[in-house]
Amino acid sequence: MAYRTRPAVVGGATTLIPNSTGKSLEELLYDVAQKAVASAGITYDDIDGIVVAANDQYDGRAISVMAASGPVGGVDRDILCTPSAGEHAFVTGALRVASKLFDTQLVLAWSPAEVSSFSEAQRLAADPYYHRRLPLDELSSHALQASALGASVENLADLSHSVLTKNRANGAVAYPDIAAYSSGVPRGDHPVRWPIFSDMIAPPITGLVAMVLAGEDFVADRGLARPVWIEGMGWATEPSFLGDRNLGGLPSLEAAAAQAFAEAGVSDPVGEFDVAELADATPHQELLSYEGLSLCRRDGWEAALGDGTFHADGRLPVNLSGGALSVNPIFCTGLMRISEVARQLRGEAGAAQKEGAARGVAHAASGIAMQYNTVIVMNNQQPGTVQ
Amino acid sequence: MELMTRKEVWNITYNHALGKTASEFFTQIKESARILGRRCPSDGRVLVPPRAFSDESLEATDEWVEVGPGGRIEAFTITYEPFQNLPEPPYAFGYVLLDGASTAIGGYFKGIDLSDPARAAEKLVVGTRVKTCFAEEKDRIGDVLDFWFEVQD
Repeated sequence: MAYRTRPAVVGGATTLIPNSTGKSLEELLYDVAQKAVASAGITYDDIDGIVVAANDQYDGRAISVMAASGPVGGVDRDILCTPSAGEHAFVTGALRVASKLFDTQLVLAWSPAEVSSFSEAQRLAADPYYHRRLPLDELSSHALQASALGASVENLADLSHSVLTKNRANGAVAYPDIAAYSSGVPRGDHPVRWPIFSDMIAPPITGLVAMVLAGEDFVADRGLARPVWIEGMGWATEPSFLGDRNLGGLPSLEAAAAQAFAEAGVSDPVGEFDVAELADATPHQELLSYEGLSLCRRDGWEAALGDGTFHADGRLPVNLSGGALSVNPIFCTGLMRISEVARQLRGEAGAAQKEGAARGVAHAASGIAMQYNTVIVMNNQQPGTVQ
Repeated sequence: MELMTRKEVWNITYNHALGKTASEFFTQIKESARILGRRCPSDGRVLVPPRAFSDESLEATDEWVEVGPGGRIEAFTITYEPFQNLPEPPYAFGYVLLDGASTAIGGYFKGIDLSDPARAAEKLVVGTRVKTCFAEEKDRIGDVLDFWFEVQD
């Protein structure tokens, strides 16, 4: 893709609140936006545009950008909303910087945990003709996907448990105060949607993620610290009807990864990346992501999980943050994957920091049964200047 | 000072237009107890449930094709919690590729004891042959709940 300038992540902030927030959505948005801009070492006057992503059903507010515009600085400033996913807001913001029409962008995604039932809110996404009369929420779609995957992977339950154990151990280090089940993973609890058991998912919590992007000239002129450069981006979509898909694979992730890796010049992802953050609303999703991102084919999952390839001290640590299996700010989980890679590459990951992490990949999935897949490759060493 | 919350319940009714294709599909279920798909003229795929156009070729579909009643399970799940506007749980539901169809249709599985999820799941594994069953004519209203799938003996 012909970028006119290379965008970089230059700052960010995350708010994660497991219980009652005690703040209104506007107050939470104001706080996270202010923190993100300050973390970049710039002021709000430097922000050229804003891209936000939120889910109206979760917010309980129609066209939720209307509520956000004031708190995040959208009054008298360019602001767009991508309600599909937080990662789409990131891609849009990055492309706006890459176009050189904007020096900077502020990107935000959020989801409060104020709705009585996430499940019922999600069912509003199903078409009212053929699917509304089925118990089809996101969790059901993930379970259907897991059942299809199980048709070609014999020991799926054991592999899922390995992923779960790995991510929960990482989550206990990265977010010890809020990670789900940080004291250990129970097994054999009741199924919430067969074959997904209650211990295999983390409860939704309130979350807000904000990131600041800037172009090469702005980074150089201001001497911004620790920029993380975007080397490649890819995104693709599966058909909207689950019955039109082979749920046991993810061709859209393969397409998104091919696009991002071609841009970034990646040919050996396991060898070339230092960290990866992958979609893992369920452990089965992370397994599918290994394959879609060419990290590991399904016939190698058992060996890779057995020898610790993707563990914290392995060749390519996956989800050092603990992933969504540990911390699940439900709608902004995708932007959080990108943010977590950027934090690693900026050396800001705290107890979860991988020493010397320079290059990483983030994968975000959203929609029913991972309908939308987005892949972002980042590097804290500045690649060749874009001409 | 107490930090307040405000509880709100909304009750809005929508009256969605189904269009010609879905209307015919549900009319055939109600009146004739059969499942119809639509064929795409450019790639020959039979889309079930039927759509007025293919989202792959972007061509309008041009032929009705009866599919089933037999088929194979492509994906399934069992859920134990209640949902608004649906029958009492537990439910088994999933996607079935009906004979003659190119895409799978979502529907309920019935005739299986769901009290033991692991044993129920063994009977619903992907690839299992099922047959389409219909409610009695007097009970059919032209809806997804008018039909379901049962494992073939």
